[in-house]
Order: sequence, then C-alpha cells, then structure tokens
Amino acid sequence: MDKNKHLLLWSSIAALIMLVFAASKENFWKDWQQIQKSAHADGQTIDVRLRQIVVPELKITDRCVSCHVSMAPGEQAMTGHGALVAHKNVVHDPTVFGCTICHSGQGLATTKEDAHGTVHFWPEPMLPKQFSYAACGTCHTPLAIPSREILNTNKTLFERYDCLACHRLDGRGGTIRPDGGGMEGPDLSRVGIKGYDFGWYEKHAQKHQQAETPAWKNSFGLINENDLSGINSFLATRIGAPKLVEAKALFNSLGCLGCHKVSGVGSDSGPDLSLSGYRDPGQLDFSNVSGSRTLSNWLAEHFRSPVALVAGSQMPAMGLTEDEIELLTMYVLSLRRREVPSNFFPRDHSKVVQFGEREFAKDGATIYGTFCASCHGQKGEGMRYAGTQAFPAIANPDFLAAASDEFLTTSISKGRAGRRMPAWEGASGLKPSEIKAVVEHLRKLGATNFIAEATAPRWANGDVKLGAKLYKASCSGCHGADGQGGEMASIK
Amino acid sequence: MDYNNGLRYCYNSRFLITLVTGVLLMFYYKPYPDVAYQSIKDIHFVVPTGQFIRNIHRWAANIMVLTVILHMARAFYTASYRAPREFNWLMGIALLAITLGLSFTGYLLPWDQLAYWAITIGANIAQSPRELTDALNITQYFDPGGLIRLLLLGSDTVGPEALIRFYLLHVMILPLMLGMLMGVHFWRIRKDGGLARPVDAESRLGQLPTKTYPVFTQAPAKTYQLATIVKGRTAAVGRGPETTVPSMPHLFYAEIAVLMFTVFLCVALALISDAPLKELANPAVPENPAKAPWYFLGLQELVSFSAFMGGIGVPTIVMIGLGLIPFLDREKTGTGEWFGGPGGWLLVKWSTVFGLAAPILIETIAIRFGWIREWFPSAPQIIVTLINPATILTLIYALYSVYLVKRYNSTRAGALGLFTCFLCGFLVLTIIGTYFRGPNWVFYWSPADWPKH
Repeated sequence: MDKNKHLLLWSSIAALIMLVFAASKENFWKDWQQIQKSAHADGQTIDVRLRQIVVPELKITDRCVSCHVSMAPGEQAMTGHGALVAHKNVVHDPTVFGCTICHSGQGLATTKEDAHGTVHFWPEPMLPKQFSYAACGTCHTPLAIPSREILNTNKTLFERYDCLACHRLDGRGGTIRPDGGGMEGPDLSRVGIKGYDFGWYEKHAQKHQQAETPAWKNSFGLINENDLSGINSFLATRIGAPKLVEAKALFNSLGCLGCHKVSGVGSDSGPDLSLSGYRDPGQLDFSNVSGSRTLSNWLAEHFRSPVALVAGSQMPAMGLTEDEIELLTMYVLSLRRREVPSNFFPRDHSKVVQFGEREFAKDGATIYGTFCASCHGQKGEGMRYAGTQAFPAIANPDFLAAASDEFLTTSISKGRAGRRMPAWEGASGLKPSEIKAVVEHLRKLGATNFIAEATAPRWANGDVKLGAKLYKASCSGCHGADGQGGEMASIK
Repeated sequence: MDYNNGLRYCYNSRFLITLVTGVLLMFYYKPYPDVAYQSIKDIHFVVPTGQFIRNIHRWAANIMVLTVILHMARAFYTASYRAPREFNWLMGIALLAITLGLSFTGYLLPWDQLAYWAITIGANIAQSPRELTDALNITQYFDPGGLIRLLLLGSDTVGPEALIRFYLLHVMILPLMLGMLMGVHFWRIRKDGGLARPVDAESRLGQLPTKTYPVFTQAPAKTYQLATIVKGRTAAVGRGPETTVPSMPHLFYAEIAVLMFTVFLCVALALISDAPLKELANPAVPENPAKAPWYFLGLQELVSFSAFMGGIGVPTIVMIGLGLIPFLDREKTGTGEWFGGPGGWLLVKWSTVFGLAAPILIETIAIRFGWIREWFPSAPQIIVTLINPATILTLIYALYSVYLVKRYNSTRAGALGLFTCFLCGFLVLTIIGTYFRGPNWVFYWSPADWPKH
C-alpha cells in the first residue's frame, strides 16, 4: 500500500513537471515568438502572433513571415533580430504568390530548420541564395534565348551604344549627369516579358533629329541595321532575371538538347530534363559528392563527372569551368514546373504550352549550339569522347565543298542510318526553317560554299585485254580464274 | 499485494491515454488525401502543444501493443486460462486482434510515404489468398483475396476510400469494440472468481497486515435456498473467500499508481522522441524498403517467402492455436503459479533456447543459400507456397510440442513449450525484419551497407 502511494505521488509530480515544461516550450519559447518580441517598428513593439500568407489557389500556406515579419504584406522595415530585415524589392507581391513559390522550403513550418526544408523527409529544400533566379522557372519559360556567344555580343552592343546613359537595366544606368538630366528613358529590366515598342529606334532617331536638349543631341547616335538587330535580340531577353538568361544561353551553347529533352523538344538519347529542378535530395546518391547534401551540389558534381554519380551514364565529362558549372546548375534547377491555375500562367509560359513557341532564338548559330554542338563541336570541329565513336567535323571546308545544301538538309532531317545521328525533323525536333538556318550557319562556319562538279559525266571505253590482266592479278584468287566462283561467289 | 495486475492496469492506462490524446487530435485532423498530410503538419507546427500530444498518442499506442502481448504471456504462464476462465481467455485474444487493428489503422492516417506504402503492403497481404487460388487455377471462380482487399480499401488502390475507412475504423468502430470487450473482460474476472490463485495461496500470504480489515467479520447465522443460475446446489450467502480485502483503498491505490506511472512514461518518451513523419505520399516513388509497423515486421519477414502462408496461413494457425489452448489443456495442477505444471521453469528455459535457435537457423539457411525457388527454378507454385520458412518453422514447433507432451505426459508441458517457441520466433523474426532487411528486402548487417541508387 505505501509503495503504491509513493509511486502515485512521484509519478504524478514528474508527469506534471514534464507536462508544464512541454506546454511552455511549445507555446511560449518558440523561435518566432522570441524574434517578434525583439522587433521594433518606429520605436514601438509589435503584436506577437503567428503570421502566415494563405493562397488557396496555389495551395500555399507560408508561415515564413512569422520570423521574417518585415517581409509580410503590409509590414515595414523593423529593427531587432537579423531575420527582421526587409525583403528586396520584387515584382511579385507575396500576398498573391506567397513565399515558397519562389524560395521553396517548407512554408507550413514554424521552426527555422523545418521551414528552410533542410531536414530529412522534406523533398523541396529552400533554394540556395546564389540560385534564386532558378525559381523563375517554376512558372516562367524564358523565350528567344540565344547562344552564349551571341548573347555576349549583343550585350556588348548594348553597352557600347551607351543606352545606359538614359535607361536603367538590372540596377545599373540612368545616373545624373553633370550638365543636368538623367533617367529620360524607362527601366529596361523587364521589357522582354512585358513587351516594348518595336518602333523605338525610329522614334529615338526622330527625337535626336529634332532635339534641342543636350541629352538627346549628344547621347544618342545612329545605329546600323546589324547592330540594331542585335540590340533588339538583347532586349527580348531582358526578363528581370539576368543570371537565368545567361545560364540558359550557356545551355543553348553546349548542345544539351542533342541528347536531352526539355518541354517536349530535343532528343531521347538521355533522360528528359523537364522536371529536373524538382528532385528529392533524399532520393539521390551522395556518396561521391563532397560538401552539403543539396540538389545543387549533386548537379554540379554531375556536370563535372557524370559517371561518378550515375552508374552507366553515357554523358561525357564536358570539361566545363566552375563558372559554367554554376550557370548550368542554375538552369537545371530552374526546370521546376509546378501546376498552377491558368489565371497564374505567365505570358511566356502560355506561348510555349499553347502556341508551341520555341524557347531558343531562331538564328542558325543558336539552333546549332542548342542541338548540334555537343556532338559536332562548338565550331563544327567534331568531337571525340572516350568510349564512343568519333563525331565528324561537319564544318570542315573539304566536306562542305563536296556536300550540297540538299545533302545537308536531308542528313539533318532524316538522320543517318547505322549512326547515332537521329532524324531531327519531327514534332520534338526541328522545323524546316530551322534546319535551313542550321545549314546556312554551317556554311558560315566553314566559310565554304558547295562546289558543284564542273566536268560533265562521260562514259568509259573498256579495254578487254587490260581488264583481263587486272582481273587475273586482283580478282581471280577468290572469284575463280574464269569467274566461276571459288572462295567467293560466282560472277558469271 | 499481488502485482500480477500490473500489466492489465498498464494496458488500461494506455488505452485511456490514447483515447484522450486521440480525441484532442481529432479536432484538427482531416481524413482526406489532399489535406491529411497538411493537417498533420499543422498539428505539429501550429496547434498549441500539438506536437507533444501527437507524440504521446503514438508512444501510448506502441506501448499498448507491447503490453497486450506481455499480458497474454503472463496469463498463459500462470495458467490463468483454465476453467472457468476459458471464455475470458478468448476475450483476451479478441482484444489482442483489435489492438493490432487499431494500431495498424492509425498508421495510414498521416498519409506520408511510410503510411501509404505500409498500407499497400498490408492490402497486398490481405489479397494473398490469390497466391493459393492462382496456383490451383480457381481464382476466376473463387477469389477471397480480391474480396478481402476490396473490403479493406474500398477500391482497387490505396486512396481516399481507404483513408476514410481506416479513419472510421480507427476513431469509432475499433475503439467502441475495444471498450465493450474490455468491459466484458473485466466483468468476467469478477464472475470467474477473480485472479487465478494457487491452492495454497492463503498459507503463502500469511496473516493480513495490521490496519487491514476483512470484508466479512462473522460467519453467517443461517443458510438460504435461492433460485440461481450458478453451478452447485446452493449459493453461499454471507461468506466470501478468506483474506479478501476491500477494493478501496487497496485496489484503488494500486490502479491509480500504475496509471500515473504510465502517464509519466508516455510524457517522458514524448519529450525525447518525435513521432515520425516522412514526405507526402507519392504513388510514383515507392519506399524501398517499405516497412510495416514493428509488430508486423515478423510477419513481413515471413511474407517475403510466401505472401499467403506468411501473411494469412501461419497467423491463422497461431490465432486458432491460442484460442484452443484452454480446451486442450484440461489439467488442474499448477494453476495460478508461474510456469506451473510438469517441467516448470526448466522446461520454459530450454524451450526458449530451442525457440530462438530454430528460427535463427532457418533464417540463416534462407538468407545464405536461398530457398526452393532458387534451388529448383521450375518447381510448381503450390510447392513454393506450402514449403517455406514459415511453414517449416511452424511444423518444427508443433513437433517439439508433441515431443514434450509425450515426455512429460502432460498437455500443459506441450503448451508451455509451444507458446514459448512462438514468442521466441516472433521476437527473432521481428528483429530481423526491423534491423537487418534493406532495399528489396535483402539482408544487410547495417544500413550503411545499403546500395546507393
């Protein structure tokens, strides 16, 4: 009896203590409560309560703003804990889109590790800061992206013509000038997605002619037609995510679609990359990956040495620089399609899925870089990877001199039997106009036009005696002295 | 004071704790596939003390399963199933089945990868009679496997119908059944004369402690003739068993002490360990290995050899065997004593050795050398179904039991051996299934050896 009473007493006391401790810990000592207590807005304390952004259409309940209170809609900058800094100005209102649509992570959570998603059993961890632009790929599909070389050329044109004297682009340009003026023109950061006036040059030239002010008189100069085309191409790629555009330009230079598919375009030799940015790190093999176990680290290591990560992979080591690896990782991370209601569809994504618009620019150099460069080389110099057959140098002047445009077009359209060259004509391949552009680009690479055979075909006059002599010396051993056959077939 | 009631009190407390915490969780849980996982996350992150309550619920459930098994073992080893307690033993078996069902139905509710794939395995085991009917070519005429699976899932796949059915079973049907059967179970204890006691219990206990007052203070002055349904010619009126003490305060303090101790245990474990919650259920990505709850992993180990025999055949034999124990053992001696009967503790000890060695040896052969399908690839499916570690082990245990019956000329000895062997087999198979089975149910000494993918 007494033993039971003692057991009852001490069990009750211990259980009560633990219950009080657990209740206090879960209700009063949460991290977000401490952070909100330390917050001051205009010198006043704020109301300590759970804060969240709920977007039912996107199935989003983001409680990130319980700690990052300054980033909540309607809030202002606050002092206190480091998490209270205000968010950078962005074009997408968190009230409409939430947080995790861009950042990923676990919006439901209220503790830091869980919310950032760097815990076991959460398949969508937060994107690393240097890859933030990859989040655009959740909804958007950048269009008209040229190869990297062309992009850099066009960017140089844009800089050289001093457009930044009056315009602002990605945070640069449009500064006050010593003689007065500045920011006469609009911000060009997002004209590629919002659209711009295609007659801008004529209007600029007209203002330049009629201008009295120094800005228009001195800062604007005439642009030749080729350069104008380049600048327009550059403006089409200004979508507010410069790093992502650069990454995709690199993707369109290495010939990745020669083996892979993205959004239904490309080859079936390798796996489809359309959803590669959404992969659960818990399902990946990190035994050969150094550093933290994140998807970005896995992808970077895969680009360095594909076979080390995927047994039996036929992807060769591309010999990329670290900068290129980072850009390529950024682009692959951006291949994260989330199903959203149609009223959330951005214009560029609608063009792709509803009207079949291409994601790459239409010029031959870009198309070649997107589909052909991985096998035939950046300059058409051919490629030789360990373990595979050599790929021909199709920009070789001798080859181009002997090959007609019809021959090249047919090879690209129908492929080559018995070789690894696939048929590029078709729903997931190239359109006839694109094949034509590639052929023209090849001519430029080799700087050689087709040289038709000048000599007319002529008929040979046989010499029976000479023929018999040659037959006896070279053919009779197998086909018989009189052509009756032997080791080989009869040719009578 | 007799502490044999401790396990029963522990079981009752566990049920009470799971009931209270379950009702609290029911306020927030939503039994639909697209919101179930999110509501569990909300309980974890937003509901005040929600994480803690969910942990308590899970730990109470696990300890409930453990306690019911230990309680059954205690009842068996003290021969408390004998007349007039046969019916109560059957009630206990039913409570065991319902407890397992309660725990299993709760497993699906979070709708995470663990839940989805464990229930998929369970449903496929329910369908496993098809293995036998396929081998006999009668499935098109007689398909009990498909019917059982359809009843369980309400559909062809694990989906919304399965979730709502499991939810209903978990929060209403099974708890009600459990409550009613527990009521019958407790009532029968009184009706059958309380705890089973050895014949010399009074002499063993000696004098009552001071300050303890017996219920009956004087012998009856006269007898009465009553119309009654009890056995015997007359009912004894005014006379109770000697040394009976009042429930208050003796029984009350014992029960309440065990209750608070189990509350303490649950709270402590809930603070230390969180209930697991994996990724949202994804039918396109199978868990590998996908493991059932721990108390079913021994079964899953057997299922890997034959779905029907491991999942349904042997468990059915085991449950029927448990149910028949009081009707096969008609002896009198040893009732109320630990390991009572011929052979006694020594018999149980040697049975433990045998019971552990047999499954370890059979599993070693199967793991190291494979089994019939590897040895004779063209063997008929019916042979593969009927001859496997599950059936071989059952047969070995049965033969051992028959040997003991003959040697000691006692059915109690055979029962002692058989029960001990099955407990040991359950233990060995559960440990192998829990710690040593990896992807594709291949044996690994350590998860570090699992293949990369």
